[in-house]
Amino acid sequence: MTNNQMFKNILIPISSEFYSKAVLEQGAFLAAKFQSTITLIYIIEEKMLNQADKLSDTYRTSVERTETKKAIIKEHRHTADAIVFDDAKRYLTNRGVPLEEKVIKGEFSNVVKTELSTKNYDLVLMGFAKGCILNYRLLDEVHIPIWVVAESSDHSMLAVCSNLAPNQKVPTVSIKLSQVLGWNLHMVYVVDTQDNVEVDEQGLRSNKKPLRELIAKGQRFVQDMEQKGIDARVVTGSLEKATGKVAEGIGANLVIVGREQKKSSTLGLPVKSVKRKMAEQCRYSILFLN
Amino acid sequence: MNKFLEKKRTSHRFSTIQEYTPSRRDLFFMVLAFLIVAVFYFLPQQEGLSHAGQTMIGILIMAAVLWITEPIPLAVTGLLIMILQPLLGAMPAADVFSSFGNQAVFFLIGAFIIASAIEKHGLHRRIALKFLSYFEQSPRVFTLGIMCSCAFLSFIMPEHGVAALFLPIIASILIAMKIVPKQSNFGKVSMLCVAYGCSIGSLGTLIGGARNPLTIGILSDLAPPVNVTFFEWMLYAMPVVFISLPLVWLALQFSFPIEIKNVTTAKREINKQVSLTGKVQKKELMVLLILLFTIILWIAFSSYQYFGLAAIAILGSVLLFLTGCVSWKDVEQRVPWGIILLYGGAITLGMGMQSTGAGAWLAHHIFHSVSGNIYLVLLIMIVFTILLTNVMSNIGAVAILLPIGLALAPEIPGISPLLAAMLIALSGGLAFMLVIATPGNAITYSSGYFSTRDLFRAGSIANLICIAVIFIVALVYWIGVLHI
Repeated sequence: MTNNQMFKNILIPISSEFYSKAVLEQGAFLAAKFQSTITLIYIIEEKMLNQADKLSDTYRTSVERTETKKAIIKEHRHTADAIVFDDAKRYLTNRGVPLEEKVIKGEFSNVVKTELSTKNYDLVLMGFAKGCILNYRLLDEVHIPIWVVAESSDHSMLAVCSNLAPNQKVPTVSIKLSQVLGWNLHMVYVVDTQDNVEVDEQGLRSNKKPLRELIAKGQRFVQDMEQKGIDARVVTGSLEKATGKVAEGIGANLVIVGREQKKSSTLGLPVKSVKRKMAEQCRYSILFLN
Repeated sequence: MNKFLEKKRTSHRFSTIQEYTPSRRDLFFMVLAFLIVAVFYFLPQQEGLSHAGQTMIGILIMAAVLWITEPIPLAVTGLLIMILQPLLGAMPAADVFSSFGNQAVFFLIGAFIIASAIEKHGLHRRIALKFLSYFEQSPRVFTLGIMCSCAFLSFIMPEHGVAALFLPIIASILIAMKIVPKQSNFGKVSMLCVAYGCSIGSLGTLIGGARNPLTIGILSDLAPPVNVTFFEWMLYAMPVVFISLPLVWLALQFSFPIEIKNVTTAKREINKQVSLTGKVQKKELMVLLILLFTIILWIAFSSYQYFGLAAIAILGSVLLFLTGCVSWKDVEQRVPWGIILLYGGAITLGMGMQSTGAGAWLAHHIFHSVSGNIYLVLLIMIVFTILLTNVMSNIGAVAILLPIGLALAPEIPGISPLLAAMLIALSGGLAFMLVIATPGNAITYSSGYFSTRDLFRAGSIANLICIAVIFIVALVYWIGVLHI
């Protein structure tokens, strides 16, 4: 696969809970760079519908609740047509990007996973918002790259490697991406002090290891990267916080993260989804190379 | 090309699982609720409390757990309350079921039948659009119009129905204006005005929320009975409505400054929707006349011993049948019987707490340390009711707190049962902070125009304002002017 075919088929799922034009702008940018086709799905969040329905079950009859549910679905279809697809026309169709549009009712992660099984997608491009009831399970359950878009205008990217990932895809993909997009590439190797294990090439976690051993491995990795002409360094701390700090420092537009397998945080407490946590804390776009 | 695909199989499976398979969480809370009752039943008798009273407290806490966590429908919890009282020997079965025959139950049934006729003929939609068309001067005034229209309609029909009516109306206006969900403050304020307008408006009359008839039902069962007429309720509650509405609207304007300058598109959309409603039909006019006739009777004659609230409501309903404005099929489709059962459970809970002395015992222990300070007691009652109604159904919150509030009245000079009841009933309708707090919030949230954070932020401020309003109205108007 040549660099320009990296993201041939892009899926853009937009939840009825959250819509950002930045995702379409980013889609148009990537489509131009990679000659991609885009499938845009507007997902009417079933969870919202069911919640309204369940809360009303004693107060309103099933006929009334069905009417309300239909009205909500109708409203979201109009929103998709008049706002989202209209914007998509402006950002994508008018720029010659091949585009397919769909409206689907369902749970966000389920709909995305089902759609991924119907076509060979190379990338999921999506927005992220706090204060929503939808969960972002797909960050951990999808096996193709997911690009979480945030609004920013810099042109640099930060590739994150760590003791918690195999660190194979991230260097390769980030080098290719920086070449195609023409963005500056920085690399950081995070030695996570909360979860001091090592993850091998198969993605298996080792037993706990001394911190100095992990740092030494990180330094060797950085030396390798520097020999390839990449600006790289080692940092220690928690994966999410250290990444955020470095990204802020260099003003990164995009942070590239691999298959990090963080399982424990402060005082050894379990971490549910480190990716979701990173997406929540970041003001920049993140590309998860799953 | 747009493909409107509906994954029916997925949604069906989802809803089936949701409705028929209790989750582990649900099972946990069901077991917890029953364990609480068992603990209170078998616990050694507390000083100053009968065994029946102790069991009633267990049932009260069980109801609170089930109404907050909702592992079973709210109405089923109502039924459970009714059967547990005689089964555990807290109240004789005859007494439990006779309190269900309160006239407020039939008032509710009548009010629902009238509301079903209004909905069937689209009268509510016509009134809503007419009302909205008076507020087209600017975006800010338009949002005030939304709030006032919702509040006004909630005077004559249940608040949740009003929220469901306004959702598509406002959403279509916002879509026509190309307002992007969650990103536009105008969109946020418009939808929050629907949610809060309905909640505040529902305080105004006995029709807006089922907790209002519940309150007068429990008051009328007291010894000696305290009877509140339709007009008296309005007299007590309307100042709270008319002071809270503009203040909450102002708070929304400050929280989310509106970014758009004109509402020309909104005007066009409203005109379009008005034209779609067509001319007033004969039966629609008949429903309006019967509604006005019933309201006049409620205001003028609900205090008459032989012509009370329920008789008038049923008379209005019968007139609707006689004139062919509603059929029994409409009643089957549009009268939520679940709420009647919930009401039954709530009123028997109140009676049980009262007659076993459990309410008085709880009130004594909870308010013992602050009983000398009437201001503090009033404030605690308002704040606690508002906090509770934000995490559970508002009728449930009122059902749980009302027996305690009523029992408190004789202990604290200056607080009458009526005052305590009005404080709890009105505060119980102010569920502003969470999506799960009231169906109106959930319905408007589903539009996608505001986030849970927006609701919490705006709701916290709105709740603080309403706490102050009810507190001041209670001191100045209810106690100072009306001497209740």
